[in-house]
Amino acid sequence: MTVQTQRRGGGGYLERPAPSGLADVIEIILDKGIVIDAYVRVSLVGIELLTIDARIVIASVDTYLRFAEATNRLDLVEQGGGKPLDEFIGDLQESGAGRKVKGAVSGAKKALTPGGGDDDEESERRPAKKASRRKSTA
Amino acid sequence: MSRMAEPARVDSDGLAVEQGLFVYGVIDAMADLPEWVVGLDDAPLRKVVHERVAAVVTTITVERPPGRRVDLLAFSGTLDAVAEVGPVIPVQFGSVLADETGVIEELLAAREPELVATLDGLRGRAQFTVQARYLEQVVLSEIVASSPQIAELRRRTRELPEDMAYGDRVRLGELVARAMEEKRAIDADLLLDVILPFTVAHVIRPASGLERLLEASLLVDIGRQQELERALETLAEGVVDRIRLRLMGPMAPYDFAGDA
Repeated sequence: MTVQTQRRGGGGYLERPAPSGLADVIEIILDKGIVIDAYVRVSLVGIELLTIDARIVIASVDTYLRFAEATNRLDLVEQGGGKPLDEFIGDLQESGAGRKVKGAVSGAKKALTPGGGDDDEESERRPAKKASRRKSTA
Repeated sequence: MSRMAEPARVDSDGLAVEQGLFVYGVIDAMADLPEWVVGLDDAPLRKVVHERVAAVVTTITVERPPGRRVDLLAFSGTLDAVAEVGPVIPVQFGSVLADETGVIEELLAAREPELVATLDGLRGRAQFTVQARYLEQVVLSEIVASSPQIAELRRRTRELPEDMAYGDRVRLGELVARAMEEKRAIDADLLLDVILPFTVAHVIRPASGLERLLEASLLVDIGRQQELERALETLAEGVVDRIRLRLMGPMAPYDFAGDA
């Protein structure tokens, strides 16, 4: 897998779809908004839709089997493909690329690193090992 | 009270067709409706006004065949268009009241003060929906690599036919699911720490399943939309190895309709 093939149109990494698909629209609007008492409103639409529930119950044997199957199907991306999010955010701060998110991110780091000591700070800024491993998977 | 009668209509057999008012949302009484926008069945929008608020409605045939897909899309399209010109509080999809009196009595009159307050809170703001999902292969690889127990169960079960080693498979799936949950909780918090400073309110939606990481509705000051987009773009680029980010909106504030 390479970054190139996964870039989105317009050069952006953030996907920016219009919520035009039915699945998106269902998730966005269903069960939302002011509720008018069912006894006074005339119900003519939407009743069947209420039974559509794409959410998956996580703690079920079926789900576990699905997870196991996905794991077994996997051609392992050795050592995982990506850099942990906290390391990336550490990099963001270091590089200055994330100036926009800097203030927000420092809070996240504190929360993530109990004590928030300088040692933690240091190790997050130097993910050299992981970075080189990551390259080998490209 | 002036009960405005719906225009009488008859069907092909000459029988009277019962009509009602399909309600989309509540807006300021003085607000203009976007003229080019129609509702379900391409019916023109109109307002039912009560004091400081108004309901956005279209006339609808109650006995019509429910063409659900197109109705849902029309509903959201209509509300999003109304939201572009001013604050709107969405009403739950599928709400039909008998006539204007019903709209005023059942929707507007009793909660007028709350509706006004909610509209004030929505002024100049819009909803965005952010979704983050893992690249399944990558995140499963991380999980296998991080747990000798998972790696061992995987090694033991993957070469066997599917109907064998049932217990091991369930155990494997359970461990993977749990590891996924832990990963999700940490990563979701990190994403939210970046996103939330750009919002005035948010609602986290349950995100479960294999690859879903985070789903949240955000209420954002329209003036900060570009800031939010830039921050998310930077974030999306940084995590592209393992996470995909989507942002939808601006849209009507479906998740911020208040308690009215």
